[in-house]
Amino acid sequence: MDQKNKTSKKPKNSKFSQQELPAWKPILTPGWVITSFITIGVLFIPTGLLALSASDNVVEIVDRYDEGCIPDSYSQKAESYIQNPNQNKTCVRTLRVPKKMVAPIFVYYQLEKFYQNHRRFVKSKSDKQLRDADAQDDTHNCFPEDYTADNKPIVPCGLIAWSLFNDTYKLSARGKAINIDKKGIAWKSDMEAKFGSNVYPKNFQKGTLIGGGKLDERIPLSEQEDLIVWMRTAALPTFRKLYGKINTDLESHETITAEVENNYNTYKFGGRKKLVLSTTTWIGGKNDFLGIAYISVGGLCLFIAINFILLYVFRPRRLGDPSYLSWNRQPIV
Amino acid sequence: MHHSSLRKRVVAVFDRFKLSWIFTLLLLLKNTPAIFYPLWLLIVTDNSQHQSPNTLQDSSSEGEIRSKTWSANSVFVNLGSKRLSHGSRGGATDSEAFSMSHREINVEDARLVYVNDALKTNERFEFAGNSIRTAKYSVLSFLPRNLFEQFHRVAYIYFLIIAILNQLPQLAVFGRGASILPLSVVLLVTAVKDAYEDWRRHKSDRIENNRMSSVLVNDRFKQKKCKDIQVGEIIKFSADDTIPSDIVLLSTSDPTGVAYIQTINLDGESNLKTRYAKQETLSRTPEKDMINGIIKCEKPNRNIYGFHATMEIDGKHLSLGPSNIVLRGCVLKNTNWAIGVVVYAGRETKAMLNSSGAPSKRSRLETRMNREIILLSLFLVALCTAVSICAGVWLREHENELEFLQFYRKKDYSQPQVKNYNYSGLGVEVFFTFLMSVIVFQIMIPISLYISMELVRVGQAYFMIRDDKMYDEMSNSRFQCRALNINEDLGQIKYVFSDKTGTLTENKMEFKHASIFGVDYSGENIDSDGYFIQVNGHVWRPKMKVKVDKELLELSKIGNNSKDSKWIYDFFLSLAACNTIVPIVIDTSNPDEKLIDYQGESPDEQALVYAAAAYGFMLMERTSGHIVIDIQGERQRFNVLGMHEFDSDRKRMSVILGFPNGTVKVIVKGADTSMFTIIDKSVNSDVTRATETHLNSYSSIGLRTLVVGIRELSVPEFEHWQSAYETASTAVNGRVALLRKVAVNLETDLEIVGASAIEDRLQTGVPEAIESLRKADIKVWVLTGDKQETAISIGYSSRLLTSNMTQIVINCNTKMSCGKSLEDGLIMCTNLDVTPVALIIDGTSLVYILDSDLEEQLFQLASNCTVVLCCRVAPLQKAGIVALIKNRTDDMTLAIGDGANDVSMIQMADVGIGISGQEGRQAVMASDFAMGQFRFLVPLLLVHGHWNYQRMGYMILYNFYRNAVFVLVLFWYVLFTGFTLTTAITEWSSVLYSVLYTSVPTIVIAILDKDLSRRSLLAYPQLYGAGQRHESYNAKLFWLTIADTLWQSIVVFYVPLFAYWKTDIDGSSVGDLWTLAVVFLVNIHLAMDVVRWTWVSHASIWGSILVTCVCVVAIDVIPVLPGYWAIFELASKESFWICLLGIQIAAVVPRFGIKMYVQHCEPSDIQIAREAEKFGNLIEPTTQEIEMNSTRR
Repeated sequence: MDQKNKTSKKPKNSKFSQQELPAWKPILTPGWVITSFITIGVLFIPTGLLALSASDNVVEIVDRYDEGCIPDSYSQKAESYIQNPNQNKTCVRTLRVPKKMVAPIFVYYQLEKFYQNHRRFVKSKSDKQLRDADAQDDTHNCFPEDYTADNKPIVPCGLIAWSLFNDTYKLSARGKAINIDKKGIAWKSDMEAKFGSNVYPKNFQKGTLIGGGKLDERIPLSEQEDLIVWMRTAALPTFRKLYGKINTDLESHETITAEVENNYNTYKFGGRKKLVLSTTTWIGGKNDFLGIAYISVGGLCLFIAINFILLYVFRPRRLGDPSYLSWNRQPIV
Repeated sequence: MHHSSLRKRVVAVFDRFKLSWIFTLLLLLKNTPAIFYPLWLLIVTDNSQHQSPNTLQDSSSEGEIRSKTWSANSVFVNLGSKRLSHGSRGGATDSEAFSMSHREINVEDARLVYVNDALKTNERFEFAGNSIRTAKYSVLSFLPRNLFEQFHRVAYIYFLIIAILNQLPQLAVFGRGASILPLSVVLLVTAVKDAYEDWRRHKSDRIENNRMSSVLVNDRFKQKKCKDIQVGEIIKFSADDTIPSDIVLLSTSDPTGVAYIQTINLDGESNLKTRYAKQETLSRTPEKDMINGIIKCEKPNRNIYGFHATMEIDGKHLSLGPSNIVLRGCVLKNTNWAIGVVVYAGRETKAMLNSSGAPSKRSRLETRMNREIILLSLFLVALCTAVSICAGVWLREHENELEFLQFYRKKDYSQPQVKNYNYSGLGVEVFFTFLMSVIVFQIMIPISLYISMELVRVGQAYFMIRDDKMYDEMSNSRFQCRALNINEDLGQIKYVFSDKTGTLTENKMEFKHASIFGVDYSGENIDSDGYFIQVNGHVWRPKMKVKVDKELLELSKIGNNSKDSKWIYDFFLSLAACNTIVPIVIDTSNPDEKLIDYQGESPDEQALVYAAAAYGFMLMERTSGHIVIDIQGERQRFNVLGMHEFDSDRKRMSVILGFPNGTVKVIVKGADTSMFTIIDKSVNSDVTRATETHLNSYSSIGLRTLVVGIRELSVPEFEHWQSAYETASTAVNGRVALLRKVAVNLETDLEIVGASAIEDRLQTGVPEAIESLRKADIKVWVLTGDKQETAISIGYSSRLLTSNMTQIVINCNTKMSCGKSLEDGLIMCTNLDVTPVALIIDGTSLVYILDSDLEEQLFQLASNCTVVLCCRVAPLQKAGIVALIKNRTDDMTLAIGDGANDVSMIQMADVGIGISGQEGRQAVMASDFAMGQFRFLVPLLLVHGHWNYQRMGYMILYNFYRNAVFVLVLFWYVLFTGFTLTTAITEWSSVLYSVLYTSVPTIVIAILDKDLSRRSLLAYPQLYGAGQRHESYNAKLFWLTIADTLWQSIVVFYVPLFAYWKTDIDGSSVGDLWTLAVVFLVNIHLAMDVVRWTWVSHASIWGSILVTCVCVVAIDVIPVLPGYWAIFELASKESFWICLLGIQIAAVVPRFGIKMYVQHCEPSDIQIAREAEKFGNLIEPTTQEIEMNSTRR
């Protein structure tokens, strides 16, 4: 008998192989369904309200200046105005502070219809070249902004760097300049690891076609914060980029004078340029969407919960009632 | 011995799980049939037809089935390739087969083997040596050949084309590494698996090739390596040796030239078979007197039951048949030695030519799924077209600006002459966009689904094999999954076609009653001590004890002196002598006691010989020339002067016995229908009549009957027969036909001796199983070769037929009357509204109905009947009946059987199940699944089939959803990138999404989740209806899933879009958000549908989410990737968490709400049963209810 057992192919009677592992078998009873919908509603509506009020507390000043900064005489030929290097492109904008803005106030520039996420654009850079001084020849993604006409590698290469945004803003209130802090606008991680502290701009913006801003060749890339911000390409065609921070409060109804140097050419494709001053809260900038969405979802869940309550009251069904089984429901002939 | 080890591997492929089933799981990415080792085993063919004199098939009915196996085999070979006539009764095929085997061999078709002259044999023709090679690859050929084989699969070609497209610089969406990764992982895993398997094959080949055998070299037998054996050489082997190549027997240790062989490695049958050396060679010893001759034989072919050759020796022409050849892989038993000449060697042996796997079927669910895959492909094309059209429009609108757009820069100014940079005109750009979007959206077609499905099926097979409820104690066999791609079909069966003998019954014959010379001995059988004899101081007992009739036992002891007891003496002597059983004496633990084991191919014959032994007529010894029977303690030797084998036309066998006192008698045993035509009715007509009455009463209680007749031959009669017999058996052409003629002339004017009744007991649990199947709304049809009365009685005892059923019986001899009967039956069913109805139809009627315009009528009638019983059907007709249903409905059919005669229907049905029982393994070899008992059908279908179907159906829908939701998120983003196929989600995440982030949980859940417990499924067989109604996978569910997918993708994409519109969010950050959101979502979606949460489900789902987070973080800490540190910047802001949570809830609320609504208002049976399982308030149905339910249908 013993020997027979040894050769027996009888499967082992383990809980796993017999598919009898202990298991939790939740069944969503009416109570659970109603509870879960109500819970969602109860959680979501207050969260939505909080988000909405946070967004409401954000003070935001947006000024579109791309059209306003073209002198009337050039209004039909904005491009020739912007492309003329000898032209003084300074223009003055007046902003009103609607509510008191508490420091830190963030200064952004906003571009529209500018596809920083365009396939040709996002790839046109060399991450190796940016962080490593020895890799200046690593420019294979950067064409046509990879080498100068006399075959010297461009650092930083590629379309992204080449198209660096170069409008500048100077703010003043009541004749007194408001200091815009340009330090610390880029991600610390980018400055430390992505852009090399020993990589200096070379042969940059020396071609026939100037795409945007120029770089000071004495400052390493890791400290060129405007470039770093610009090179963290935006997700969407309408985007903001941080220009600087104001560390003083702005009083309500104050008038701010913005001196804009309008250098960047978006006139070709009608891309708008805006100057944005904004405070932030925990939810970020001014955006009611999340608040409204949360309130709607929460409200919807409460509504569904009520409907289920009604359903269970008026059309009750005993759980596991065998009379609902299809073969018991068939009419008996 | 090596063969047997190989065979074990094949038979229990899944035993490998024992070692490392997880490893196997990983390795089984490839097409599943490939996991089967090349089978040494043979595909099925008949064994009764050609294996010389050992096949008298007992009961008429069984005999008839067996005899028709030729036709079954032809189906096996041809099935699917050409239309078959199912109506033929096999007789024609038989004679064709005979004439085939006796045609002359054409010279150009022949191979000439010079006996004992390997040099000469091999100089003219290039015959294969005996070394074999089952391994597919060598070190050099592995890479190209393996790759070539892998790329035979459409999925891989799709992968490859996409990967190649991506390598074109114009289209490079993903980096090189990311685009090749998925394909290379799959290829690598498969290659490793193949290499491992091939290495094992190499190892086994080496062992096989280096075995030693004894070969005649220069008139002496020398040991030689197996691989060096050549065609034409003479080899010698002794008992228990495995034969190294196909050889023609020359002589054996038996003076009459008999050799017993076991073919278990070849076809799995464990009983002994006899092979013969030719008279002209058997007395020679090759060492002393040279045997020189030429064998002219067929070219190598794969028919293991056919062999046709002539041998020219000493100027004599001899014809050789299948009984003269011993095939590679057989084992010599009970014979001290045998000598033979090699005719086929190595890869040309029949065993090697037959090493191929079981044919594969495609599951119904997969076929339906492919339809949806085509829809998804169209959907993919639509998405790509939309993107490329939009891209075209955008480019056209901005045509003038492209040159100076900072983010486009059409022109390259770095060189003096300004050229276009990466721009080749609008049309080309649009075309490129289309191709690129195919690359980006490639996973819309869920290629990974095919791989997942294979893994899931392996997992499901593991559980089916490991189910201890489907383990058969008696045969020590587990459930076997031979086909791995139709697991889920088991959950949708509507029709079960079952064989009777060996499937519903045990096929363990037990001698029950006897009618001897008109006297019925059917009193109560009692246990006896068993008859035993003394031989050389040892006690010999039959191995099996038989219950005996006390009265008959007393009478049998009287001997043949009185008139009454003479018949009893003749009867038992006939049973002991007229058969092909070989008695084998085996030792027991008690040294004084030995057991006699009666080996034979037919269980009926064994039962009769055991019965004779129990009544004191013990068969002790059989050689080809004589038998020794111990009759009541007195040993007698009878000369076997001749034997006429069983054949399907005569349905009987006869033996010509020379008695010790010099008389010669012919004893005939056969089916009642054939025997009564040759019995001399002029004498003892009352005995004949009485016997007939007894036969009827026996068969009405389901017993199998045989009639025995005897006649004494006068000297001239005997001499006349003898000369005719000699002439016939040495004839070169048409020997079988001649022998048959001789037999027919001899078997006349018999005196009736009596009839035997053998019981074939129902297997345990059969009535209950049939009851369950019927409640599950599965129609059970029984197709049997037995006679009508037997079939009906088995029908009653298995509860297939009940007393309240109306029986429509169709036994017709003309087409006209068949048509009429069918019409009457139809009218009865439909107009008179009689329910339930059982249809009983016999093979003769089916001849007229199948393949004629009456088929449709039969179908109509049969589908109105609760039960259909087909009796006396030939194997081809079985397939014909299956085809009748299969061709006319969408319902799934299942055929279950155990014998060679069931092979055709097993192959024909959607699911074929083989019972590994007494009748050999042909059915198992042809089947998709094999098991030990009929009753396992219930857990197999109701439990495993149900689970498999539910799981697979859900998995397919989930995989569609999972991939589509991701593709749609990518698609929405493309709309905001100027239609340029930028992905915010990193390329690594895109690639890992279906490979790593979301692949494991769906596979784990599809293997482990159970919608209902085994107990509920067995208690309520009606729950099986869910599969029959396609509840888990249908067009409605598909479209609902797609709608849900659309909604969820919109939520996932647009919530972050609106939340981060006009902010300084960068692409990588929002990409990470989308990645996490969609992975969380699809896992939560799956979690919502899990029914049973075991620790494995928890681990896989939450583990996947964790792994995703780890991967996203890991990707974001690589400084050269654009998304460096993005996830940390992102996660430090509250808006990220708010978005993530909001997405999950908003995406699943509609689905959850609708699911809950449906669950409450239109609960499915499964839902109710699940609730009942949890809250335990389902009222146990009474038997009354069962009756009502079954009758209502």
